[in-house]
Amino acid sequence: MVSIKVLLFATFRERYDTKEVSLVFDGSLEGFLEALSKRFGREIVNDIFDSEVKRFRNNLIIMINGRNLKDIKEEVKFKDNDTVAIFPPVAGG
Amino acid sequence: MGKVGVIDLTDKTVKVEGICEDYAKKYLGGKGYALALLYEYLKEYEAKGNAAKDLNPLGPENVLIFATGPGTGIAGFPSPGRYHVMALRSPLTGSIGSANSGGEWGAFLKFAGFDALVIKGASKEPVYISVVDGVIGIHDASSLWGKTTFDTDSLLRKEVGGKNVSVACIGPAGENLVPMAGVVNDSHRAAGRTGLGAVMGSKKLKAIVVSGSAKVPIANETEFREASKEAYEKERNNSVTSSGLPTYGTAILVNVINNAGMLPYKNWQLGYNPEADKISGETITKDYLVKKRPCWGCNIACGRVTSVKSGPYQILITEGPEYESVWALGNSTGVMDITAVTKANHLCDELGIDPISTGSTIAAAMELHEKGLIKDEDLQGMDLSFGNAAALVESIWRIAHKDGFGKFMALGSRRLCEIFGAPELSMSVKGLEMPAYDPRGAKGIGLNYATSNRGGCHVTGYTISPEILGIPSKIDPLTVEGKAQWVKAFQDFASVVNSTVNCLFTTFALGASDYARLLSAVTGVQLTEDDLMKIGERIYNLERFMMSKYGFTDKDDTLPSRLLFEPMPDGPVKGQTVDLETMKKDYYSLRGWVNGVPTLAKLKELEIEL
Repeated sequence: MVSIKVLLFATFRERYDTKEVSLVFDGSLEGFLEALSKRFGREIVNDIFDSEVKRFRNNLIIMINGRNLKDIKEEVKFKDNDTVAIFPPVAGG
Repeated sequence: MGKVGVIDLTDKTVKVEGICEDYAKKYLGGKGYALALLYEYLKEYEAKGNAAKDLNPLGPENVLIFATGPGTGIAGFPSPGRYHVMALRSPLTGSIGSANSGGEWGAFLKFAGFDALVIKGASKEPVYISVVDGVIGIHDASSLWGKTTFDTDSLLRKEVGGKNVSVACIGPAGENLVPMAGVVNDSHRAAGRTGLGAVMGSKKLKAIVVSGSAKVPIANETEFREASKEAYEKERNNSVTSSGLPTYGTAILVNVINNAGMLPYKNWQLGYNPEADKISGETITKDYLVKKRPCWGCNIACGRVTSVKSGPYQILITEGPEYESVWALGNSTGVMDITAVTKANHLCDELGIDPISTGSTIAAAMELHEKGLIKDEDLQGMDLSFGNAAALVESIWRIAHKDGFGKFMALGSRRLCEIFGAPELSMSVKGLEMPAYDPRGAKGIGLNYATSNRGGCHVTGYTISPEILGIPSKIDPLTVEGKAQWVKAFQDFASVVNSTVNCLFTTFALGASDYARLLSAVTGVQLTEDDLMKIGERIYNLERFMMSKYGFTDKDDTLPSRLLFEPMPDGPVKGQTVDLETMKKDYYSLRGWVNGVPTLAKLKELEIEL
């Protein structure tokens, strides 16, 4: 089992009224989504993950330990003490 | 047909010229058109037997141009409220002076009957310029001299009155020739970078007030309405322009860039700050936001009206702080009190000074002090330590007035660090302090900082968009391959948008083909995406060629040694440095430049007439 930190930002923070939460699960992607769902409800999984194509939604910014998921070529797996940060589509200058 | 006002402040004369059609076709308007005019003035200066290198940025021979473009002042053209200011030379960098601002002034200059204003020479006494219903006047400004931008704005609005009034002015910083002084319009918007406020100050030009109700003509109304509808639909369907920016403003980036390990902290010594959330867009929205505020005609509305209701840094009403201000005044200085950061930003507007350069210079001073190079006795009682909110706020005032230790900080970080024996601690390129993205976490923005014509600037070629935000698509920030293509494309397209003079934020949703459609309808001249990108390339190369006359070469296309040789100490991009030389080689090859300068063949290919 692994224990990770999930950080929510912007509209996610507002919608789920949470800045930060710890999750304990088996380290797999499925385990992560299941743990998220248990904590916040099924809605959050739908918000961030497209179960039809089995990928995280393309317009989000999701980082594991500061590295964007889209730059990680390997299969998504979680280690103990990982930090996952979830942002809606944002930009600035 | 458009008009250009040419104002000579030495002779106190005003001439009105038509738009040069050839320049309009080759350079569009805004930055590009102003550059073409500036090049003529530079040649005139050289023809008198002067060397371009000797042109004094604070002398009467410097020329200042305020310009709008074919996309400005037209309801239905995306984000049409902006203006661009250019100078032959910046007092901060010695390169071309260039800055851009939002608000209403750009649109209202068009309504006042002019596309651009050229300001030459220098007045002996303070003056302000009025542009009202097609008539330009030069007026005594001795009663305004010494006043803040806020007071100047409200006094001139009352004085001039009329419909669609807007004021662009300088505060005490510009009057005092602080090289980081900016031009402030509508009180809280600014053409902040490269010290153009000091250029105005050197000409004793306090303000330009515009007013009028001229209609801006559109060649093909039906086609424009269709193109506009399509563009607005794209903005509505884009989450950044329809939700992210209007809801949270630009400071939403604080947590994004911090979590990516590249939010410069304590003068770029680190890239991750565990307390950054205290100064984030989320915090500002939750506790200080009054309402959002759009620039004239803009659908995105990223502007923030804010208020600090109590405490030592109370402010009844203000705007911002934006991402860059929050970073420079807060994260870079280590000040985590958002109310103090908001107050410091408010003072930057009021006194007329660039928050990026100012915050970054204060941070450099803090590191010099930390390392014992600035002594306590130099500071005359001010504790310039990282994280000291009171010292931050006091420093803004001292810099604008060149008072106490402020007279050293007012020089900007490059000269400050040279004087105190550690030039490598100035986090600047060509003397312009770099903005809020550490390129050890995104190599492309490093190449852009190094090759940006005006100095350390992000908006010149905002590759953070693909590297971190994934717009229009995601590229790996930590690789160097292929970055030159992205940097060139972003630089050329930004040159276009700065020449139509619309907001770069539209480009999160719109591309060159959208701009081509809109511009073709407005001007009646058929333009394609390729036409526009070629114009952008032309503008970028002309600017680079002019800079080379001041002595700029590939040696100036560099980054501070911290970013090249000091691995990021910790965080998500621990161990990273910037391999600039590899990217530069690719970039120059792509650009057709040798030693950082366009070849004659390249200039000829781009139809730049020398």
